[in-house]
Formats: sequence, C-alpha cells, structure tokens
Amino acid sequence: MAKDTALYQNLRDKWSTKHKELQKSLWEKHGNIIDDFVTGTRNFAIGSVSALMLLSSPVANNMLPPSTAITVQEEHLPVSKNVFLINDLSNILPQEVRPLTTDEESSVSAVLTRDFGVPISAELDGIRLNRSYGYIGAEQHLARYPGDTMATHFSTPSGPTPPEEIQKAYSSGMAPGLGGWGYFAPSATQMTQEDSDREKYYIAVQSFLAPGFADHTGEYIKFFKFRKMILVNPQNGKAIVVVIGDAGPAEWTGKSLGGSPEVMKYLERVDGKARGAVLYYFIDDPDNKIPLGPIDIK
Amino acid sequence: MIKHFYSYQVDIASVDIEIDSLNIEDHEKNHLKSLAESHIHHVVIDAVLSELDTEDKKTFMSYLNAKDHEKIWKFLHARLKNAEDTIEKAAAGIKKELLTDIRNERSK
Repeated sequence: MAKDTALYQNLRDKWSTKHKELQKSLWEKHGNIIDDFVTGTRNFAIGSVSALMLLSSPVANNMLPPSTAITVQEEHLPVSKNVFLINDLSNILPQEVRPLTTDEESSVSAVLTRDFGVPISAELDGIRLNRSYGYIGAEQHLARYPGDTMATHFSTPSGPTPPEEIQKAYSSGMAPGLGGWGYFAPSATQMTQEDSDREKYYIAVQSFLAPGFADHTGEYIKFFKFRKMILVNPQNGKAIVVVIGDAGPAEWTGKSLGGSPEVMKYLERVDGKARGAVLYYFIDDPDNKIPLGPIDIK
Repeated sequence: MIKHFYSYQVDIASVDIEIDSLNIEDHEKNHLKSLAESHIHHVVIDAVLSELDTEDKKTFMSYLNAKDHEKIWKFLHARLKNAEDTIEKAAAGIKKELLTDIRNERSK
C-alpha cells in the first residue's frame, strides 16, 4: 500500500508550529533562568555532554529561543548547535563502542535526519553495513588517476589546494595500491571536481562483512561504489559527507572503518591508542545534490 | 531510548503506538515520535519550573543537568505538594492533544 505522505507532512507541520509555541512559552516564562544557567555552565558545557541536560529533549536544538521571543535573544546563548547534537547522541549511544541495537540505530538516525535536514539511515534499499558505529582508523591518500603522486595530488580541477591544507595532509602519504574502485578518473585532464572530492572525502568500510554480501556480491558492490555517507564524531558533533572509496580495514585491527587524511583531520580523529569512534550512516541522495565535505547542522 | 526523570510517571507508549499505526515511512514515524516526545518534555519542564521560585528553579536545573533523578525527586517532593500529579496532569494534556491530532489527520 502506498505511503500517505500528506498525512506525515500535515502532522509534521502542525506539530512543528505547536513546538515553536511551546518553546516560545517556555522561554518567555523561564528564559532568564535558563539563560543564566547555560551561561553559568559555559566553561564546561562545550566539553561535557552532561552539562546541558535541560536542553536534552529529542529535538533539543529547537529549544533555542525562538526569534520572536522577547525575553531571551538567541545570540545570548553561548553554545553552538553542535552541543545539542552531542548531548542528544550521548543519551542514545552506549558507553562502550559496540554495534548499536535496532532501537539505538533508529534513534540516532532520527536525530541526524532532523539536525542535518537530509534523509539519513543505517539501511538503504534493504542494504546495510555490518555496523553503524565503530572505531575509525587513518587511511592514506589514494591515486586519483594514473601517474598521480604526492607531488601532483593537491592540484584539483578548481585550482591548487591552499599551502596550509597541504601541510596538514601531506604527511599521510600515498597508499601503494589503488582504492576499491580503481582510479577515480582516467587521467589528470579528465578528472572532474567530483572525482577529486571523492578521493579527498573517502572512507573505507567493511563492505565484505555486510549482511548478505556473500550471496549478492555483484549487487552489493554496485551499491557500495561511491555510496554517499555521513560520518559524525559524537564527541564534538562534527559531521562530514563522504563516499565509500575502499574496502577495509580487516576485522582483526579492531577498527570498523577508515577515513582519508582530510576526513580524519576534520573530525579530529586519530589512529592508534587515541583512536575514537564515529557514527557512519547512509545518506539518501538519489539526485546527488548534497555536496561532499563538512556539513553543518541546519 | 532517552530516559527522563519523569519516564515512570509519563507513559508515552500510547502516542508511539498511534504513530506506529500510521501508514507512513519509518523515518517519518521516528521524526513524529521525536517531536511528540519533545512536546511532552517542554510541557513537563514548563510545569515544574512554573511551580518553583527562582532559586529552586536553578537548583532543579542543576540536578536535571546532572541527570540525577534521585535528587530531582527528593527535591521536588520537598518543594511541591504533589510533584507526580503536576507532571502527570501536564503530560496528560499534551498527550491528549497529540492523539487528537493524529486521529483527526487519519480520519481526513
């Protein structure tokens, strides 16, 4: 039976309006206290997920004072939207880094979809990875076309990369082999900005461990090739849109996925003993409208 | 699932069940559930804060911030005549509105 999209849209619109009214009412009545409290906890709020529990409703970012509120102006709040995302995720994610339960996974999906304004899910077209939350390791740069080396790697169709960015990413070096799908472009002259961005913002995932992979290898490979995903560091709220560019890492490493040097840098994740976990979810973007790279909360 | 200090007093299952019965996509159901839960959260916090004076509001918020449910309830029992009743009544009102909205939309 066809889904009733209008029913959802009507309820969503009605409840969103009502939600704003509730926010306005709450802030008009108690905004001064809330503002004092948040301001008073400023020094530890950013780094502590437990510091803003008052604002930890499922759509916490919407608890910011509405623009029409007269008692508290939004700019008075000293916290970034990331704090609310961090806080919401902290309420869902387990203490240990393990595969999420179905409930946890769908709660995360709802939070991310809401905050980033795009459909985000752990499963797409009936296909999912072995997990959606795990430790990320550092990958190296990949050759984008035959002959691409570290000397040419930071030249893109839109121009050269700024020296400070090169300095940050150069030390990762170039992987000896190619990515999972081969070169990103047939030659330097034929390389598009999208090709270049795909290498810049790629991840390696354990596609070979995806449920059903062995039985539908061809179909799954086609699905995973340059599949768009979102990575979120739940500890700082930073998120980035990436593509699946390679397979790995091996199970024995204890890591669940790998990120390009640029991805790791942006998410503030490192390899080794100080490694950390990220959330990695599919983005449903059939028209390829969502650009690769860092994405902000709406 | 998110556990609030009032989770034992406020059962939102009836709203979730009603949303689950709708012929809409799963991610749409999740979104509506999030909105519904946030409505209830706002109303409950508003109801509690409205019963407290300025200093008590600050104390309540610090306990809320610390997720210390035991301290919250001890505090609320000391400050309010019937904290559970205040919360349950506030939540019941908004739950009724949400359920009415769902049923009205479904009957269209």
